[in-house]
Amino acid sequence: MVRRRKPISFFSGLAIIAGAALAAPVFSDLAEAQPQRVMSLNLCTDQLALALAAPSQLASVSFLAREPVMSPEHEKAKALPINHGRAEEVFLASPDLVVTGTFSLHNTTQLLKKLGFRVEEFGFNQQLEAIPADIRRMGELLERQEEAERLAAAFEDELSSARQQLCGPAPTMLIYDQNGVSPGAGTLAHSVMEAAGFRNLAAEQGLNGVGPFPLEAVIESRPDVIVTSSATGNAPTLGEMVPRHPALKTLPDTLIGDFIPDGTLSCASPATILAVRALVELRRRIAPCRREREAQ
Amino acid sequence: MTALRLNISLLVLMLLLFILSLGVGPAELGFRESFHGLFAGGGEAAAIIMRKIRLPRALLGLMIGFTLGLSGAVLQGFLRNPLAEPGIIGVSSTAAFGAVLVFYSGLAGSALYALPAGALMGALIAVIALLALSARGGSTLTLILAGVALSSLSGALTSLVLNLSPNPFAAYEIIFWLLGALKDRSMDHVWIAAPLMVIGGLLIAASARAIDALSLGEEAAASMGIHMPRARLLIVAGVALGVGAATAVAGTIGFIGLVVPHLIRPLTNRMPSALLLPSALGGAALLLASDVAVRVILPAGELNVGVLTALIGAPFFLWLVARARREML
Repeated sequence: MVRRRKPISFFSGLAIIAGAALAAPVFSDLAEAQPQRVMSLNLCTDQLALALAAPSQLASVSFLAREPVMSPEHEKAKALPINHGRAEEVFLASPDLVVTGTFSLHNTTQLLKKLGFRVEEFGFNQQLEAIPADIRRMGELLERQEEAERLAAAFEDELSSARQQLCGPAPTMLIYDQNGVSPGAGTLAHSVMEAAGFRNLAAEQGLNGVGPFPLEAVIESRPDVIVTSSATGNAPTLGEMVPRHPALKTLPDTLIGDFIPDGTLSCASPATILAVRALVELRRRIAPCRREREAQ
Repeated sequence: MTALRLNISLLVLMLLLFILSLGVGPAELGFRESFHGLFAGGGEAAAIIMRKIRLPRALLGLMIGFTLGLSGAVLQGFLRNPLAEPGIIGVSSTAAFGAVLVFYSGLAGSALYALPAGALMGALIAVIALLALSARGGSTLTLILAGVALSSLSGALTSLVLNLSPNPFAAYEIIFWLLGALKDRSMDHVWIAAPLMVIGGLLIAASARAIDALSLGEEAAASMGIHMPRARLLIVAGVALGVGAATAVAGTIGFIGLVVPHLIRPLTNRMPSALLLPSALGGAALLLASDVAVRVILPAGELNVGVLTALIGAPFFLWLVARARREML
């Protein structure tokens, strides 16, 4: 008979980890005071945390936070350690607060909660109006209420002043991304276009969420503005040739360019206001209101 | 006379499907409107759609189908193997790997010409390796097994390179390279592929006499004054150029070169050279028809045309294998 070694089962393995994690409550006692070792596991919580945290308050941010194409706060992120959102990394770093998104890494989040870590989750926000609330919540968590209030109030002011400037017939816009994909209704990009006084053609053609928009339909619908991303990353792909298809350049009355700053739409974050600002300026330039024309 | 009639009817079929291909797309243009747009020009939406989007697509479908049908016919004749086809013996997938390696490494920036350069190298290496294998008296099976190994290896390497790319969007393009597509191509793609395919086609045409003589065996061919090394060179270069160019612009589109020669062979006098032109025309017709079908099945999202040709071709391949087995018994 072959002697079989008893394998360490998944559950007994977990028990070992959990046993070792008994040390964790020591850290959560500190939660009353300002958390000093905060780990962010998600690109979107990275943006909020990087915007608000005191220097040295963040233990690490996600690896995506360093990508200039997706992360407006990539400069700050370069000075910090990064994580790949794995439970083992969290365990070794033993942070006193973990912030992450509800959509990402669900199993990891459950495991970390079981291990006694304090995990705060942020929903996947696709609305401009909900950003100030996210900012204030992150401020509470980091005990940085003052900074958060200042940032949230400035965001609200700029958003409402953008809305007050809306006038006349809105020009049409299509955001045309890698592989001919566009954000339709219910996306963050849609709410930004709306706030800046543009009509989102993808939503008007019945697209919900992010989806493919056929090249022929772009030509047929003749948008006033096509927004392509300058974000080519650091290596070529075939998909990025689609928004640069020669057919688009022959549209006589269409303005094509990368009008939205990189990464400002990848997450609902404080930097999303920069996307609104860029589009408001563009709208003023191509379809000025009477009062703006008089001012010029 | 019957050969002429066969070629003319296939040519007519191909041209009809070419016109149909121009008429199908997500923008619902009427037939008259689309052809007015094609010839009138100007900044009208119909003209832009026809000239810049549908015309290159239809031309590529025609050229690539033509090349794949021709390559399948010449390989089946030359290797005296009814299962030979650029996709099955691994030439297409190796070409795809070559294109992926050169393009995604960013060595040539994002220049389009990186694609055919890499694909030609890949195709050339594959054809030479396979000929070396089959030259040493390999059986039908040896070639097919070598092709399976080559396809799996280059498919895996393609996925590896795309996953290792620092651009996170590159990994989404694995499916394009494994199951090709003709979506959203432009005239640039036509211009980089067409000259290579024309040269490849001429080289293959020049080998027609040699493959006829070869059907009597290598010694008989040599006694008929066929210079074998020269014939081999013509076919290697012709297939590598044609399949390399096709794969560079459309990814791996399989089974066209397998199905078409088999369907057409009974209509010819069964000389391998008599099969070349009809197979090429038939290949063009089949790819154009498949490309119309994928646009009709899923108008917006669009299926990759390689999915459809595999759906047609793979069961056909199985049937051929079963038949070959019956004949051996």
